[in-house]
Amino acid sequence: MLKLHNLSKVYQTDEVETVALDNVNIEIESGEFVAIMGPSGCGKSTLLNIVGMLDSPSSGDYIFMDENVAGYPESKLSNIRKQNIGFIFQSFNLIDELTVEENIELALLYHNIPASERRERVARVMDKVGIAHRAKHMPSQLSGGQQQRVAVARAVVGDQAMILADEPTGNLDSAHGQEVMEMLQSLNAEGTTIVMVTHSPAHADYARRTINLFDGHVVTENLRAAV
Amino acid sequence: MFQNYIQVAFRNILANKLYSAINIIGLAIGLTACVLIMLFVRDELSFDRFWAKSDAIYRLHTTFNVPGRQPFITSSAQGPARQALLNYFPQEIEQATRFAQFQPVVEYQDKVFYERVHWADREAVEIFDLTVVEGDIQAAMQDNSSIAINQSFAHKYFGDRPALGEVVSMTTFDLVRDYKVAAIFEDLPHNTVLDFQALTVIDESDFTSQPAVFTEWFSLNNWLFFTLRDGASITTIDSQLPAFADASIIVPGAFQEGTTASDFVTYSTMKLQDLQLNAPGGREMKPTGDTQTVTIFSAIAALVLLIACINFTNLATAKSTQRAREVALRKVLGARRQQLVQQFIGESVVVALLALFLAVVLVELLLPSYGAFLGRDLSFDYSGGFGLGLLAGLVLVVGIVGGLYPAVLLSGFRPARVLKANRSAESAGSIRLRAGLVILQFTISIALIIATGVVFGQMVFAAKRYPGFNKDNLIVVRNVSRQGVVEKQVALKEEILRLPGVVSAAYADDVPATSNESNSSVTIPGNPGLGDILIGRQIVDHDYFSTYEIPLITGRDYDRDYSGDGIPDFEGARPGEVLQGTLVVNQAALPRLGFASAKDAVGKRVQIQTGSPGSEPAFAQLEIIGVAANAHFRSLRSVVRPEMYYLLEGNFRNLTIRYTGNPAELVEQIESVWREHAPNVPFTFSFAEQDMARLYAQEHSLATMLGTFASLAILVACMGLYGLAAFTAERRTREIGIRKVMGARVMDIVRLLVWQFSKPVLLANLIAWPLAAWGMLNWLQAFPYRLDEWVLVPLCLIAGLIALAIAWFTVGGNAAKVARANPIKALRYE
Repeated sequence: MLKLHNLSKVYQTDEVETVALDNVNIEIESGEFVAIMGPSGCGKSTLLNIVGMLDSPSSGDYIFMDENVAGYPESKLSNIRKQNIGFIFQSFNLIDELTVEENIELALLYHNIPASERRERVARVMDKVGIAHRAKHMPSQLSGGQQQRVAVARAVVGDQAMILADEPTGNLDSAHGQEVMEMLQSLNAEGTTIVMVTHSPAHADYARRTINLFDGHVVTENLRAAV
Repeated sequence: MFQNYIQVAFRNILANKLYSAINIIGLAIGLTACVLIMLFVRDELSFDRFWAKSDAIYRLHTTFNVPGRQPFITSSAQGPARQALLNYFPQEIEQATRFAQFQPVVEYQDKVFYERVHWADREAVEIFDLTVVEGDIQAAMQDNSSIAINQSFAHKYFGDRPALGEVVSMTTFDLVRDYKVAAIFEDLPHNTVLDFQALTVIDESDFTSQPAVFTEWFSLNNWLFFTLRDGASITTIDSQLPAFADASIIVPGAFQEGTTASDFVTYSTMKLQDLQLNAPGGREMKPTGDTQTVTIFSAIAALVLLIACINFTNLATAKSTQRAREVALRKVLGARRQQLVQQFIGESVVVALLALFLAVVLVELLLPSYGAFLGRDLSFDYSGGFGLGLLAGLVLVVGIVGGLYPAVLLSGFRPARVLKANRSAESAGSIRLRAGLVILQFTISIALIIATGVVFGQMVFAAKRYPGFNKDNLIVVRNVSRQGVVEKQVALKEEILRLPGVVSAAYADDVPATSNESNSSVTIPGNPGLGDILIGRQIVDHDYFSTYEIPLITGRDYDRDYSGDGIPDFEGARPGEVLQGTLVVNQAALPRLGFASAKDAVGKRVQIQTGSPGSEPAFAQLEIIGVAANAHFRSLRSVVRPEMYYLLEGNFRNLTIRYTGNPAELVEQIESVWREHAPNVPFTFSFAEQDMARLYAQEHSLATMLGTFASLAILVACMGLYGLAAFTAERRTREIGIRKVMGARVMDIVRLLVWQFSKPVLLANLIAWPLAAWGMLNWLQAFPYRLDEWVLVPLCLIAGLIALAIAWFTVGGNAAKVARANPIKALRYE
């Protein structure tokens, strides 16, 4: 699916140079469920952003589906991203002014898909995550767990091959957190590649592989047998 | 506590530089517009209030009701009306004076000029308390060879030397006399409808050769002012004016039996203080203002300020969510709502005050050119009650109008909710209110653009419309009827015709852009049913139509080969005798004279008569030999006048010269020919084209003012829009980030934001179009010749597009910047 080769990211402010990622080499196969762990400031999110093409590396190669996208301009990255990658955030990041339905539809809006097909796919994915009865509600009327389910629906409605989840359970209580993890697991079972940043070892256990980051380096990689 | 408020206010201003700049600059522009316009309005309202007897002075106005045409409304009165008025209203009227304005040639040593000099009755200086610098003005007005002059006049002729006792020679019609300077008075201030530089007393026996001036009842050559006695009421006079007309006016025999003077003549009075804004529109000593202009400009000032206030309200409510925490904390610490309202209104007053300082600077910078544009010397008196009151009032009004709603909104936040959520969701109501206010701003701006377009269009239309004659390349030489020229007219024209570049030349008594009106009473021998017809007349020579290039629709021009052409010589005609002659009329005269068409008119006769009332008249029957196309000598505010063109030697007042090539050189040559023939008469000339253009000066300045203030309105409205767009983009950063992650391109985001702000502008168009169209169609009604109404359609569309384009430009730049930003930051930290 993707391969990071000697990838580095350096943030530069006026005086300080911060190395967020230092010569990282990671390979993720299609259909994998990978958890990324590590203490605050270790570069987890930076890694996820680069993998999600929301940010560009300072040096090194990023091969995504046999294409080296490291030097691609924003518009090109945007195209690859919207075709292939879905996002789930800790703070859900739903648009307050749009209904559940419209929030999910947003992921299809920029894909030149006819309205009728969009409606169909949104309805299907809402059924799948069990939020159909809330279709016309505003995000503020939902619980945190329900909001995250909407976010999951939005991440997969475009049939994305890979989902990047940035602490998807961070804002949820344990019951809701587990619910979301199970949903991710079943998506993975259907063939979706999932890369998840998390603080919770329990939730990392859902993944088949865990990558531990420390100070911008990959420290360990643990492979686990399927649960 | 107060100190805390002020501190917070200033910190807020500094912390939000963009918003503060928009608010302060926008308000400053609004306040500047307001102050400038208020100065103009106040000046207009200050006219003629400084005279000691100001409250008691009135002017008599005369309207001639001529059957078959619009009433001839004037601001003047007949010469005999003064004495008649004093006789008829002895209980009510204390004093009365006429002012007659002539343009004599004034000579002093080597200085020879035409000067505007006013002849008045001796009461003039008692009714109007002029500030006399030297001499005895009462005595000056007792003696028909004394003159009272103002300081500028004195300076022009005598420099720094004492003027009192000096003698100037004046030639007025056939009156040549030496006048001793007997008094010098201060120049009149600009805020009076009176405008004279020299006064001398009317002695009617000096003007026996000019009966029209002071003795005829059917000529209007005087302004007639009178003062009321203590306790007398103007309504008493007004109600008796018809009876006064009947008792005083001698109706000439030409008018039909059974009619009375009040059928033809209507009098009215107007208070001196009201003249500047309400004068009926006849001849004045100088141009007056009008209530319409004052109203329009006051409204514009209010609108521009309103737009600035709306910016303030909009930005303040938009930012309110950011201040929610402060409000909540103050409330937790015990602030009452009323105190918070005070705090926020106080803050807006502080902003208004800062804006005011900037506005004062702008006013001072702009006043000189503004005053020059208005043609008056305006200044702002900061120490006066009006100035301070105006400024303080504006600051309070702006502070309260702009700050009230945000203050009420902000102070209403519930602390528990705000502190818990760490931000306050805005109520739908306040978002709708903002949208509504933006719509209002753009409605005003778009309507102003349309109004500017229409006024400007009408002006161009009027100026460019073919007036029926070729107004280009015409030099008009004036004063050919003066002593010293009149007897040399033939030679003068012959020599001028010989100059290179002169195509032709014609004498006439009227010129383009004149406000003169001469009428004659005629009958149609074949159509007695029409009775007496009063119809305009101009006196022309053989070359008139060819020089002005006025085409004849049918028939022929006056021709030197026909010795019988023109008005026959009445000299020596016996009473009752009928002489023969010929006549050219214009198209507009045909219906008045009862002719169906130009062809129908040619060969028909028009009868005129001569002789004084009481004696049996002699007649002339004039065969119509030609019909000329309508030529418009006046502004398009009036319809073309039915006109008879008399071919009549000896009554010319101007010589019009058609030329080719360089006029500057030609004028010099004409002047030297003039000097040769009439060394003692000053040479004056003008270009017909410029004279005609001047007729539209009023529309021109209105269009300029409208254009300026419309631009300001748009500018201020767009500053507000920019602020709102910036704020909205800031508020929607997270949403924009999400959309970008979902695959939206920069263009998608820009389109989203631009569309959000296009909606109110589009709606504003829908409101502004009918409003502006209705208003401007009404305004256009005043012009008999006006723009096609359909012009409004493209104008509305263009105004809408301009507003939309500016809005897009304003919002788009900022939106692009926001859309290009990296979405991660927005999504990561809430």
